[in-house]
Amino acid sequence: MTERIGVYICECGPNIKDAIDLDEVVKFAKDLEDVVLARPFGLLCSQEGKTFIEKEIQEHNLSRVVIAACSPKEHEHTFRKVLEKSGLNPFALQIANIREQCAWVTNDKVLATEKAKALISAAIRRVVLQEPLTERQIECQSDVLVVGAGIAGISAALTLAQKERKVYLVEKLPSIGGKVARYEDLFPSLECASCVLDPIQDEVLHNEQIDVLALSEIEEVLGYYGNFIVKVRKRARFVDVCSCIGCGACFEVCPVKVRNEYNEGLDERKAVYIPYPGSLPNLAVIDKEHCLRFNGKACSACQEACPFGSINYGEEDTIEELKVGAIIIATGFDLFDPGKVPKYGYGTIENVYTSLEFERLISSTGPTEGKLLLKNSKPPEKIALVHCVGSRSMESNEHCSGVCCTYLSKFAHQAKEKLPDVEITQFFSDLCLPGKEAQVFFNKVSSNNEIEFIRLKSPDSLDIIEQGGKALVRYTDVYEEPKTAQYDMVVLAPAMVGATDAARVAAVYDIAQGKAGFFSEEDTTLYPVASSMEGIFVAGCAQGPKDIGASVAQGQAAAGKILSRLVPGEKLALEAAVCEIDEGLCSGCKTCIGLCSYNAMTFDDKEKCVSINEVLCRGCGTCVAACPSGVIKAKHFTDRQMFSEIEGLLRYSS
Amino acid sequence: MNDFEPKIVGFLCNWCSYEGADAAGRARKVYPANFRAVKVMCTGRVDPQFVIKAFREGADGVMILGCHPGDCHYKEGNFQALKRYAVLRKVLVQFGIDEERFRLDWISAGDKEKFVDVVTKMTDSVRQLGPLRG
Ligand code: FES
Repeated sequence: MTERIGVYICECGPNIKDAIDLDEVVKFAKDLEDVVLARPFGLLCSQEGKTFIEKEIQEHNLSRVVIAACSPKEHEHTFRKVLEKSGLNPFALQIANIREQCAWVTNDKVLATEKAKALISAAIRRVVLQEPLTERQIECQSDVLVVGAGIAGISAALTLAQKERKVYLVEKLPSIGGKVARYEDLFPSLECASCVLDPIQDEVLHNEQIDVLALSEIEEVLGYYGNFIVKVRKRARFVDVCSCIGCGACFEVCPVKVRNEYNEGLDERKAVYIPYPGSLPNLAVIDKEHCLRFNGKACSACQEACPFGSINYGEEDTIEELKVGAIIIATGFDLFDPGKVPKYGYGTIENVYTSLEFERLISSTGPTEGKLLLKNSKPPEKIALVHCVGSRSMESNEHCSGVCCTYLSKFAHQAKEKLPDVEITQFFSDLCLPGKEAQVFFNKVSSNNEIEFIRLKSPDSLDIIEQGGKALVRYTDVYEEPKTAQYDMVVLAPAMVGATDAARVAAVYDIAQGKAGFFSEEDTTLYPVASSMEGIFVAGCAQGPKDIGASVAQGQAAAGKILSRLVPGEKLALEAAVCEIDEGLCSGCKTCIGLCSYNAMTFDDKEKCVSINEVLCRGCGTCVAACPSGVIKAKHFTDRQMFSEIEGLLRYSS
Repeated sequence: MNDFEPKIVGFLCNWCSYEGADAAGRARKVYPANFRAVKVMCTGRVDPQFVIKAFREGADGVMILGCHPGDCHYKEGNFQALKRYAVLRKVLVQFGIDEERFRLDWISAGDKEKFVDVVTKMTDSVRQLGPLRG
């Protein structure tokens, strides 16, 4: 069948018309093979232009269209729709970019006209070989898995939970709430953290569409966007969740004492415990690693003490399989270990704390029930707050966590509230107080000159040594003067970094991990919550350091991305121009498998050939160029189409 | 010989380099009309045959322009392109095609100056070399 091509050349006001001799171009295009007509038009992207093309397609019974106009990035989409409306396949269109890549970059009209001809000739040669493609659709699951029940995960889960959509909120710890649950007051309003968190935690626990799986971890993820199969290990709690009311009778009698990780190791807990007062769900849990019974001893103190018969030593881990359409990873952050930089004295000098430890020290649910005390149980008289520990330095982490300056202001305020006479010094080299609130908050807290600020020469021009049971800070200030000062408490603000087990998490989901252990986003500017894997999103501090408000926003953003694409009962639309393999001709050399960034290629052992999962393939074409047998086809970018385009570009005669 | 104008074909990836070329246009940065772009989704799609085909059809110079390392929209397509480029360059020399006639570079969507610069330099150096088929 001979093709009937219409060529339409946009004048784009004076933009193209003045730079290129359009009469000549029209004359040239008219005579090319398969071209039925070539016409200039004032503004093709206007409503009139679109109607004009539509009419032309029908009147002249066109089978393909070339539009010579602005960049395909501008209006390819617009014109594809016009074709579709006129009954043509949208892929029967090719655009010759004669504005951005010709009219606007060539001064000489003769040269511009020549170049336009070449570009149009290439488009005509290519369009003849273009094949109709249809948007593919697959059945999909609308249920979603959210990993990590911190503030970002909770926000995502609440946004997603709706009729006909189940959300599985998986948390590896026994309780939900993440880091925020360990804080006392929140920036900027100094609202108490539990006032903010408790209501939404309750909502999550009572929402019928949300399944909270605490003490659980994902072991395996198979499948792709729309259809993931996820294996979850639910660790045994050894406490019956239905009958336990969290009364605490069990841990009062437990004879074992271990480091309490919920208080950052500042005190001890029992082997059967509730993470902290008010932790949700309010259920006890047995720490198998330390419980005597699981270490060969015959203790059953908790079982005997429990008034509800809730203790069950025989409980076992269970494996659950979930089917979900999308996954949000909100596994949070950890602090950079300041022990790695010995000069801060962390771990060797008494009363040198990290910021998270300080949060627990001033928390009413912490080891001192909120009393600010030194190890010797006396209140501190002088506190040093040290900014940028392990951050903004080439040796450890180059990035700025962006929240430390703000929370150190909060600490100064909290310490002053508790101990009005305490002297506070902040050691900083630059202050980072971005956004609407931070500077205002900082101004308020530091307005009465009660806090001393010492500006350092650089973020790390300071060390801390022990002197007479106190911490001696030796520093070089911004005037290059070396000085010292003594404190009885030091609070370090270490860099926020990716969670300690982030590498394991990245491997389970096959997503990319970037700087400082955070998960990489697809695009920092445009796709901040998309991971490198289609259908897997990252939110909150797992993606990068940020404050609570930004974590919530990312949780909700990731949820929004999913809501807009995974609609219950509807199919999922996929990219049309992907790659296709002729399995019959594939020699099974497997060259392509290693090249695919999306695990879209699998080797069929029985048939000895490779097949492409069209859902995972994104159509980059790297495998196509590498296939020694030439049996992979990149749809809309086939070898024939490309060759023909190259011919058109070079082989035309004007 | 003096008025020889080379034909340069560039394979530009859709996400960065084609955008970069468009950005040069939007900024009205003038560059030699000798350069003509062919869009591919990713430089990883550039089959060595495309390059050979372009030379065969009369190109005097061929360029592959892609996202900067680490920025490829498909993660590592540009890395494959780089590997192929290294080999293909050597092969082309065996066929009498000077190394300077075939170039790979990284152009981000914002690199309009760099785009104009590499295209101009390429055109100049190929002009110096003269036509491929003299
Ligand atoms: S998308 Fe630009 S090089 Fe791969």
